Amino acid sequence: MSVILQAEKLCRYYRRGSETVKALQELDLTLHKGQIISIVGRSGSGKTTLLNQVGCLDTPTSGRLIIAGTDVTALKEKELEHFRRNHIGFIFQLFYLIPTINVLENVELPLVFARRHNRQKVLEVLELVGLAGKEKLLPKQLSGGDMQRVAIARALINNPKILLADEPTGRLEKEEKAPIMDLFQQLTKEGLAIIIATHDLAQARYGERILELKDGRIIAEHSPETIVRLRG
Amino acid sequence: MKLGVFAIKNLAQHKVRTILTLLSIVAAVAVLFTLLSFNQGYEAALKDQLQQMGVHIMAVPMGCPFESATLILKGGKIPAYLDMSVMEQIDQIDGIQIAAPSLMHGLIRPEEGRTDIFLGIDERMLTLKNWWKIKGSFFKKNNDIILGYNAALVELAEVGDQIYLPEYDKTFNVVGILESTGTQDDGFFYIPLATAQALFGQEHKITHIQIRVKDPAQADAIAGQLQNIDGLSVLTTAELMGTMLSLMGSAKTLIFSIVLIAIVISTLGVLNTVLMSVFERTREIGIMRATGAAKRHIFALIWLETLSLSLIGGTLGIVIALIGAGQIETVIKRFLPIAPQGSIVSLDPGNLLLCLAFILGIGVFAGLYPAYKAATANPIQTLRKE
Ligand SMILES: Nc1ncnc2c1ncn2[C@@H]1O[C@H](COP(=O)(O)OP(=O)(O)OP(=O)(O)O)[C@@H](O)[C@H]1O
Ligand SMILES: [Mg+2]
Repeated sequence: MSVILQAEKLCRYYRRGSETVKALQELDLTLHKGQIISIVGRSGSGKTTLLNQVGCLDTPTSGRLIIAGTDVTALKEKELEHFRRNHIGFIFQLFYLIPTINVLENVELPLVFARRHNRQKVLEVLELVGLAGKEKLLPKQLSGGDMQRVAIARALINNPKILLADEPTGRLEKEEKAPIMDLFQQLTKEGLAIIIATHDLAQARYGERILELKDGRIIAEHSPETIVRLRG
Repeated sequence: MKLGVFAIKNLAQHKVRTILTLLSIVAAVAVLFTLLSFNQGYEAALKDQLQQMGVHIMAVPMGCPFESATLILKGGKIPAYLDMSVMEQIDQIDGIQIAAPSLMHGLIRPEEGRTDIFLGIDERMLTLKNWWKIKGSFFKKNNDIILGYNAALVELAEVGDQIYLPEYDKTFNVVGILESTGTQDDGFFYIPLATAQALFGQEHKITHIQIRVKDPAQADAIAGQLQNIDGLSVLTTAELMGTMLSLMGSAKTLIFSIVLIAIVISTLGVLNTVLMSVFERTREIGIMRATGAAKRHIFALIWLETLSLSLIGGTLGIVIALIGAGQIETVIKRFLPIAPQGSIVSLDPGNLLLCLAFILGIGVFAGLYPAYKAATANPIQTLRKE
């Protein structure tokens, strides 16, 4: 299995007044193609911070981050924007769809900005996430599960190598959660690597590896089997 | 979907706010366009009219010549008179083709809410205004009267009718009616010069002399010679026009400053509207960044929204100005010292471009700050849940 992402001693400190919040401390992480890694931990443990770091949305205080063979910590802002567009897909707990435009346009939006119009690709991705036939609906006409599918389709439109999901099932009905997780698993078959941050140990179970964060450090690693016990 | 379509959809999100902003742009641009058009049209119409007069020099009694000239053109009463004897001196000057004296007198008709202007003239006027076409004939007797085209319309008079002046208990026979000239001449009542002098108690007096020179290039030189005649004040039509335009100039400056303020206000309105929508969509913008939009993409989007807003507003403003030009013209004409007969609003493509440039200026300028604000917002901060 080839390595798609490698983090070495990644640190992210925030200043809050006079004190320093160590949101991420010397974190090492290796992610392979087609792999799902779950990140668990209490609120404030640094899950979102980690995703923002490996998603190149934010620059680390120190440490190294190599994605697809590129040391992204060395990239300039413009190069980083370009790199992120072609390698990283993001999805969030609250979906964050644009309410004024329909499903198809939401998925198309990243292409619109880059002037890479490709209607065919949009339809393919919508089909892939199971939204065929719902292209013309507005976000508010969809169920939570379908909204998250739109967000996933939008994240996939630029053919990313890594998908980063921050609490992807946090706002979904119970019966909507498993189908979304199944979809993630299906996507890895094409080689997509996924990191899922979640509170929900039942969903964390989908990860090949399950890393537990506390105060910005990995304090434990669980397997899908042991995590079930941890729940009880 | 094009980026522009997305921008419009974003604007459509807040209809009332967008419409209010549009209205302020529409108003500013409509006023600007009308003023520009009016300004050019007015100059052109004035020039035309002065050319048509076929009169190169106007001689009036000493005093403020510009004021007198204005009064003559507007049809007021001249404060002072010239003695007929100046005509002999004038006739001695070389290069004059024809000099036509007239005595102007206004009869106020309060019941009708107008002033009838009587002009005492003789054959020399007919020579000067060789483009006049008279239905009927010139004066034969001293109680004959010729009506200007509009005067005849007002009096509902035909050739052969009689006109009675109760003030003087005098009856005139209408012997001729002028065909429309499209100038002030249309509004006057023409009577023989001697009759006018006797009737209005100004024996041997005239109010002004209109002169045509043989060579228009000599007008200034001849005007200089005329100036030497005692009691005579002279101005050329070229000068007259320059004065009119400079009188207009100060009014113009005032109006344009008002328009400028309107434009500043509507620019601020646009800026405010777009800035508000940027703040409201902070999170949306953050998500666009996170899903692949670069800073410059966000900048382009917000800028495009501002430009669309001002372009739509501006275009509507111009359309409204075009439609309303006729009505606006009638309003403006009432307030002008000299209102030429022709259209004073000229719809010039140059003005259109100027207005469009202005609109673009509003859009470009007002969009810069919000677009910068949106583009540089930190996506991580905007996506953090409170
Ligand atoms: N921009 C910021 N400025 C200051 N402190 C921050 C910032 N972002 C995060 N932090 C702090 O860093 C720590 C880690 O936050 P983070 O959001 O990564 O936690 P999390 O595990 O995602 O929590 P949750 O489960 O609630 O989403 C917290 O103490 C948080 O307050
Ligand atoms: Mg979080």
